[in-house]
Amino acid sequence: MSSGHAITGAAVANCLGADTGAVFEHAFAGTELFSPAGAFFAFPFPTVLGVMPALGSSDAELPGCTSTRLSTVALASARQLRPAVHAARERWGANRIGYVFASSTGGLEETERTIAPSAQMPVTTPGYRYADHAIDATSSAIASYLGAEGVVMAVSTACSSSFKALASAIRLIDHGLADAVVVGSADSLCRTTVFGFHSLGLLAPTATQPFSRDRAGITLGEGSAFLLIERAAEVSRPHAIAWLSGHGAASDAFHHTSPHPEGLGGQLCMREAIERAGLVPDAIDCVSAHGTGTRLNDAAEAIAVNRVFARAVPLTATKSLTGHTLGSAGLTSLALAIESLRRQEIPASLRATPVDAELGVAVVEHRIATRLQHVLVNAFGFGGSNASVIVSRRA
Amino acid sequence: MTIAVNLLGASFYSTHHASVEDALAGRERAATQPAFALLVGRARRFTSLVTQLHIEVCGALKVEGAEPPVTVFATCHGEIQTAANLLADFRDNAMVSGARFALSVHNTPSGLYSVATGSSAPSTTVTGDNAIAAGWLEAALTALEAERNVLLSIADEPVPAEFRGPVAIGGVAAAFLLGPPSSTGRAMQLAITPCAEDGVVDSLLTLARAADACLRSPPATVALGRIQPGQVLELRG
Repeated sequence: MSSGHAITGAAVANCLGADTGAVFEHAFAGTELFSPAGAFFAFPFPTVLGVMPALGSSDAELPGCTSTRLSTVALASARQLRPAVHAARERWGANRIGYVFASSTGGLEETERTIAPSAQMPVTTPGYRYADHAIDATSSAIASYLGAEGVVMAVSTACSSSFKALASAIRLIDHGLADAVVVGSADSLCRTTVFGFHSLGLLAPTATQPFSRDRAGITLGEGSAFLLIERAAEVSRPHAIAWLSGHGAASDAFHHTSPHPEGLGGQLCMREAIERAGLVPDAIDCVSAHGTGTRLNDAAEAIAVNRVFARAVPLTATKSLTGHTLGSAGLTSLALAIESLRRQEIPASLRATPVDAELGVAVVEHRIATRLQHVLVNAFGFGGSNASVIVSRRA
Repeated sequence: MTIAVNLLGASFYSTHHASVEDALAGRERAATQPAFALLVGRARRFTSLVTQLHIEVCGALKVEGAEPPVTVFATCHGEIQTAANLLADFRDNAMVSGARFALSVHNTPSGLYSVATGSSAPSTTVTGDNAIAAGWLEAALTALEAERNVLLSIADEPVPAEFRGPVAIGGVAAAFLLGPPSSTGRAMQLAITPCAEDGVVDSLLTLARAADACLRSPPATVALGRIQPGQVLELRG
């Protein structure tokens, strides 16, 4: 098996809670915390959303950055990871710690308030700056806040963004440009994405039901997930909470928004991740699916999983808990997979019952305790962009 | 810190300059639109200028080899005109076009290129104000890792005025084909070096200089932009 990279810190925030402990507690308890859409904006169609709990004002300010919804969501995870990053600075030096940030919409919500203000969404920041719109709007401020003085870059590949960022971070370490990298991801709710997914007919009117016979689409959410990864070495090994043992990526080459009907890209990236990890499919104990809850996405992913594993591998869909956090979706599921490895439990896929029998997948409908050594996590996105990551309990 | 790069080809397009030399000399022409011939049929509809620019320069490169290249797309502003159109949609009509929304993600050029060429190779898209430098770094490291060719495409369109962003006269793009260490391309280097200033670069001139350095023989050093605090990435060849 590949020795992989040490994961020495993980933090996550979303509708389940603004801190990692609350997210894990609610996720493994199977608590449903979606909100009526009106908690964010009065859309002219029914849907529910994963709205992150409000943070106290002292926690929400990111020094050196305009306070926006994106910065608030991103900071919720960054501040939790800060002690681990400071410890890594002691091990490697500040200029050997990189920062790769991923998002699908970046600061778009801030721009919406300026260009398309409404009574519910008024302009909040006098003196709108274009820099607050960009995917990397918070990057310099967060890198500085964390004390990461190495390479800084930003990645945006829709809903696979955070896994592409993770792959970039691994390359920085493997080729000697960093010894540790913070991989951060955040997407806040914004009106454009809710209107947009509705226009595509992909938005669920009620809470999402991945892999269910009755699934009717996506529940959008907001959230952030940050990971600290380090070169596998004697100094990092004692701090590892889990190990990145493999990753893979591939394109569908089929259609910009519809998945390849047989999940071609998904098959390729899962196989690559397993091969890089030096494993065989039978070694994977659980698949954390992309599982958006749309008819086509779940069907394509089910075919891909069945082709790769050729057995009833336990399948969980964490978007039933967190909503679809877009560019942060992959790392969000990965953080939950790390907790699964620690607890030796798989969280339930909520509302999957009755599971769509035609999909032929073994959806985890209720939380189960089981032996877990390797979990494979999928993140797929527009553009036929697919990525898989394997997280392992031990190197 | 230096990283070896094997350059196999380069292409350049500017809506307001007929050539790399004209861009470097500041000789403008009447605005032109790219042909983006790789895209056909429905794929051509709704595409933004930045997507057209990416497709244009990628299509201009002769991509050979048994395997299709891994692709790295880079853009400072992404689908910024599409974002402006979407915002106008729901401000004025309380709805958005699904087709337009689908093409609003930063990796739209990546997805359309993959479909147009039938390539299932991995692809990523880097962005932000250091996208040119980050794109080069990502492409070079990917070429080292993947042991196969990597197609790097960098493009940007003007930012609509309502965003109050940087002003540009038109769209600009360049593509570079990088080979793995075992390939027989032109040997160049990326170097991370200290920089006293903020490392912000002009996209048009930087892409023109990089393309010029790659397309012609004279040794040159091109600052590609900030890559970490106090450090810039340079292309040397």
